[in-house]
Amino acid sequence: MKKHHHIPPRFAEKILNQIIRPDLAEEVLGDLEEKFYATLVKRSSFRARLNYWYQVLNYLRPFAIRKRSGASHSNPIVMFSHNIKIARRSILKQKMYAAIKIGGFSIGIAACLLIALFIREELSYDKHYADGDNIYRLVGAYDEPGESWKGVTLPAIIKPLLEEGFPEIEKTGRLIIFDFFASGNNQFRPVNEMQNTYEEGFVYADPETLEILEIPMVYGYQTLALSEPNTLVISQKKADKYFPGENPVGRMIILNENESNPYKIGGVMENFPSNSHLQCDFILTLTGKEFWPGEQSDWNGYVYDSYLKLRPGSNPVDLEEKLLSIRDNHIVVDYESRGDQRAGDIKEYFSFQLQPVKDIYLRSDDILDNNVPHGDLKVVWVFGAIAVFILLLACINFINLSTAKSANRAKEVGLRKVVGSYRSGLVSQFMTESLVFSFISFIIGALLAWILLPYFNLLSGKSLVFPWSAWWLVPGFISSIVITGIMAGFYPALYLSAFKPIDVLKGKLSRGSSSSKMRGGMVIFQFTTSIVLMICTFITYQQMTFILNTKIGFDKEQVVMIQGANTLGKKRAAFKNELLQLSEVMTVTQSSYFPVSGTQRNGDSFWKEGRSKLDKGVGSQIWWVDQDYIPALGMKLVSGRNFSAEMASDSSAMIINQTMAKQLGLEDPVGERITVSWGRSWNVIGMVEDFHFESMKGDVEPLCLVFGQYSGSIVSVKVNTKDMAGTLASISRLWEEFMPAQPIRYAFLDERYARMYADVERTGKVFTAFAVLAIVVACLGLFALSAFMVEQRSKEISVRKVLGASLGSIFNLLTLNFLRLVLIAMVIAMPIGWYVMRKWLEDYANRIEITWEVFAITGIAVLLIALLTISSESIKAALINPAKKLRSE
Amino acid sequence: MKETGIGEFEEVILLLVGILDQNAYAFRISEEFESQTGRSISIGAVHSALERLSGKGFLTSEMGKPSAGRGGRRKRIYSITASGRRALTASRDFRISLWSQFPDFSVDQLSFVFN
Repeated sequence: MKKHHHIPPRFAEKILNQIIRPDLAEEVLGDLEEKFYATLVKRSSFRARLNYWYQVLNYLRPFAIRKRSGASHSNPIVMFSHNIKIARRSILKQKMYAAIKIGGFSIGIAACLLIALFIREELSYDKHYADGDNIYRLVGAYDEPGESWKGVTLPAIIKPLLEEGFPEIEKTGRLIIFDFFASGNNQFRPVNEMQNTYEEGFVYADPETLEILEIPMVYGYQTLALSEPNTLVISQKKADKYFPGENPVGRMIILNENESNPYKIGGVMENFPSNSHLQCDFILTLTGKEFWPGEQSDWNGYVYDSYLKLRPGSNPVDLEEKLLSIRDNHIVVDYESRGDQRAGDIKEYFSFQLQPVKDIYLRSDDILDNNVPHGDLKVVWVFGAIAVFILLLACINFINLSTAKSANRAKEVGLRKVVGSYRSGLVSQFMTESLVFSFISFIIGALLAWILLPYFNLLSGKSLVFPWSAWWLVPGFISSIVITGIMAGFYPALYLSAFKPIDVLKGKLSRGSSSSKMRGGMVIFQFTTSIVLMICTFITYQQMTFILNTKIGFDKEQVVMIQGANTLGKKRAAFKNELLQLSEVMTVTQSSYFPVSGTQRNGDSFWKEGRSKLDKGVGSQIWWVDQDYIPALGMKLVSGRNFSAEMASDSSAMIINQTMAKQLGLEDPVGERITVSWGRSWNVIGMVEDFHFESMKGDVEPLCLVFGQYSGSIVSVKVNTKDMAGTLASISRLWEEFMPAQPIRYAFLDERYARMYADVERTGKVFTAFAVLAIVVACLGLFALSAFMVEQRSKEISVRKVLGASLGSIFNLLTLNFLRLVLIAMVIAMPIGWYVMRKWLEDYANRIEITWEVFAITGIAVLLIALLTISSESIKAALINPAKKLRSE
Repeated sequence: MKETGIGEFEEVILLLVGILDQNAYAFRISEEFESQTGRSISIGAVHSALERLSGKGFLTSEMGKPSAGRGGRRKRIYSITASGRRALTASRDFRISLWSQFPDFSVDQLSFVFN
């Protein structure tokens, strides 16, 4: 009997009750209790209790466990599936409106996605360094009121100076990134091959640079690859090209047929990621390099970029302060020793700055660093703004159509309220509906973006890929779906759920007009945005055409530039003569300097002779050209004469441009003498009319031309031909006779010129694309709204027709309201567009005036587009047989 | 087995339901299973098999009377349906037909060996 005091473990019973299907509970608990007592008879109470637990655990089987959803009718889930069902029905019921809502949304989302990808790429530059927070680029800043600049190039001696006196600096590495001796581009061949190949992307670097910029190596070691003189590191890409399937370390390379100075491959690096500010395929070592006697130890030749790696925990601001000692003890001393009167200014206004490596790509606006690719932070912002605006336009379509169609849903809302729906329930119903729309649109939008990505890459000059496999894609999408869904659905949900059932069911609700002011405002907003974008597009194109066709001071048509001609060596004269034998060839000129990007540049300070200790020098370029340069490029001499090969004295002759004369304060420069910072002087024999040789964004800068026959790496051939292909063929044939081992490489001067303005062209195209998108979205909305208005007023129209209204008057009745909105949008948009574009044009020294034609044409275009959009529905309504509409009453 | 759609374990449970008749409820079946086979088994496993067999239509069940010793709770009594019986017969016939083809037990085969 004592065993009757033992009962099954209550806790286990409770747990079982929680998890088991309610309809099984009675029998199972009964069985288990019986089992418990049966065990108790044979075993100890502990064993019985243990066994009970064991039996409970053994009921954790699929058939016995309580179903959480489905079977149990949880209310929120039922409501949710009900809401989805209603959403599906309302989509199917009004296919056209649903299609417009989703279509507009999808377009907006696709545009947003593309822009987001673009912005992500721009912001991702130089984020891949493990120790990125300690990597800096040394920037020299000169900040005198009225004259300020920032540059990155310093003389070679900067490296030992940095290494000696500053314990914070762990490593210093120099880099030469622009065309300087063998950096830039070269004829390249492995030593055992005969055929040269033209290769671009050469830089010079110290061995430390590989470590500082954490350049990953495929073969060789970061620390050793560049440590011997005349070694180079090549990229994986180039290693695969020249030495497929082998480790090329130790192989010899000949550059520019210079067999006396071969290079040895010290390592192979991985290809640079596309989002690195440094892009190159060949790194030549600076170890043991001296470009001219004394170059490594004096203060000439500002050509080296310096990268620093600081020790962890050092403060860059403190270091900048300490670096001023280099200025005071070296730079200023150097200026003084040359008697340069700018020494005092340098001491006062010059300073060093440390630029974090991750800022180089986007935040180098005012820094002069040739050949480093840059993004434009402004473009990132503008693109971002455009993306937001297009998405807003799409959301507005959604809001407008939802509220406009509210009359059709009003009865539903009324009835739901009568049978006891809370307002919150209705809000969640309409929100669900908008989330469903947002979801469908996102799927379509993502696909659209994916399809359009190649075209967008073409447009933006990027090589973006769709990140299908990125971990953040799904969570990112879901949150975006929810955010846009809520954004678009918020107002309609509140508006629709606020109907009073008694009004609605009595039919008192004015049919969709109570919020027509709000809708009107939104249409105005949509069209304002579209018109502003159209004006931007228009003016960008005008500016582009202006730049490409305006008087630039030289004749860029029909000039073939043969590049890499420095390898001709002593055969230059013969090549030139042979070229001139061709009937189509007018003039031949040789130089490294041409007024298009991608040719050589330099800079130095110049004075009128005798003034170098007294005046501030004029910063100017100095180009070596021959006697045919000015005629071949169609430049005009304002005064004086051209160089002449016959006159021996012309070796010290100089021709300057008008800006140079102005800056030197020379009215009539012919006959004056000009001195350069390194001491040499020239006689000015002529003045050439200003021509643009940098981007036309800026003013023409000072320029000196000096005589150097048979020099330079580019042979430019001015031709006069209708058959360019034939002419090119004969030029190529001639080249092949002279240089059989080096394939000809040529470009057209006008194409190179156009390439300088590729960014303007790109801006123009991007604006066009987005302006078209914006206007499409806005018109979709307008179309749907007008269709809806026509539908609402169909009875009114029929009655008017019966009473004798003409087609024209009905058309006016239906369209004028909308056109008024578009007109208001124009009034708002035009000043905005004018202001924005005036700001943009301020960047250009040579710019168009914004004329009234732009606004007139845009205005008429928008009106026509809007009219076309509205009129199809309006005309349909005006033509319908009134009997059809009125018959039913 | 072949066409009956029941496994060995299910077949045993089905037979035990037949044997226990009015006492065929989960606890008793599991007890009977343990004493007949000497294998221990949880009530849950038996219950799960019973549920499966009911789903196949081989068993029906109804609630019995409340009884003491199980906290006044009712038990669910299972009984075999006609199709359950057919499944059992089919299963047995199939085995017998297989056994009759088994060589060591065939008389012809034995005599062959002795020759």
